[in-house]
Amino acid sequence: MSDEPEPGDGRRTAATGASTSGDADGPALTEYVELHGCSCKVGQGDLESLLADAGVDVTPPGLRFGVGEDAAAQPLGDGRALVSTVDVFTPIVDDPFDFGRVAACNAASDAFATGAVDGLACLVVLGLPRELTGVAADVLAGMADALSGMDGVVAGGHTILNPWPLAGGAVTATAPEDALLTTRTAAPGDRLVLTKPLGTQPAMGAMRVRDGAFAETVRGATDASIEAVGREALEWMVTPNRDAALAARPLVSAATDVTGFGPLGEAAVLARNSGVGVELTHLPVVEGTAELSELFGYGLEVGESAETSGGLLLAVPEARLADLEAALDDAGVFRREVGRVTEGHGASLADGVTLERVPLGTAPGA
Amino acid sequence: MDVVDVTGEVCPRPALIVREHLEGLEPGDELIVRGDYPPAERNLRRTCNRHGYDVTGGQDADGRSFELRIRVTEDATLTGP
Repeated sequence: MSDEPEPGDGRRTAATGASTSGDADGPALTEYVELHGCSCKVGQGDLESLLADAGVDVTPPGLRFGVGEDAAAQPLGDGRALVSTVDVFTPIVDDPFDFGRVAACNAASDAFATGAVDGLACLVVLGLPRELTGVAADVLAGMADALSGMDGVVAGGHTILNPWPLAGGAVTATAPEDALLTTRTAAPGDRLVLTKPLGTQPAMGAMRVRDGAFAETVRGATDASIEAVGREALEWMVTPNRDAALAARPLVSAATDVTGFGPLGEAAVLARNSGVGVELTHLPVVEGTAELSELFGYGLEVGESAETSGGLLLAVPEARLADLEAALDDAGVFRREVGRVTEGHGASLADGVTLERVPLGTAPGA
Repeated sequence: MDVVDVTGEVCPRPALIVREHLEGLEPGDELIVRGDYPPAERNLRRTCNRHGYDVTGGQDADGRSFELRIRVTEDATLTGP
């Protein structure tokens, strides 16, 4: 179903005995996997074929929405809805505690993208190779720490042995039914606002090759220090989308979060589900990541680079744009206008799309 | 003709390995790149096109490996877009 290689096919990872960098303080989690963070997501086309082949490509009766959205919403009968979602991914960082924080933020983000922020609970799914079981407590502690910062809890979970490290979970949250957001209701004329800068994938890629044979090339690609770029990207990945969702939900017409499909891919989902066109006019990126992406061929400058635990992509009627900007500012949330909704179809980059380097130190935790 | 095999390599290493090989080539030269990691094929194609190289080839019939033929053009440059 995917064009990605299967686990255990002899690729050069630590699990196959040919690790490249490593860390004196412990195992380098990212060396155990071939695909990192949200880049392990199955492609959109493959996913749609799979759902259609299995006959589960429609929203079941009784749900407000489900398949094809960031989460499923079930009316509870009292004007509120229970939102549920599941998200599990591979290490994007080597530190187990940070991996847990990113995994929790990323899993919760799908609930926040639908506007659900209350009563957040996560059933943790944790998979580790036998030789890495010693890091389980740190990953779990990182998840609990991040959930606590989102007014959420670890409600339980399921832990397995697995050749690739995996972490994430099944997340539930509630919202007033009339506050729910989907990708189906963007309208021509809407403006698009993004709540985090882009560039997590090249930042994390650089961290994996910053030492060793390619150190000089990688470090020479940008004036910024690779470690500082990596820290900044991490701070953005562990910034929850909760405040952004709370501030935005009374004002926006549609929402999603930017993850493995990259901004252009997520925009394409929004375009198709709403029956509109989406044009990206501006790409704010973490300082240093545009140059790294160019070196690696990741496509950040054309909106194609995967993001892990990225920001919310919000469609807002032009008349409410100023209100949205004020609400996000009041909530201390990063925001940039990044595009517009048109009467066309599909997602594209506008002629003259601009790239903005967002300085290091902008992330809330930096 | 130079051949570089990046089978078993995970991104971003394939792009860096190929870049190292391209450094020593002149306009008109060609480099064959073989590998088995689908994201690497996309990323190599993207970065080579962006830097003015001609890229042909693609996935093998079984979809488990790829072969790209990269030709150095007069405009090709490893520095800058």
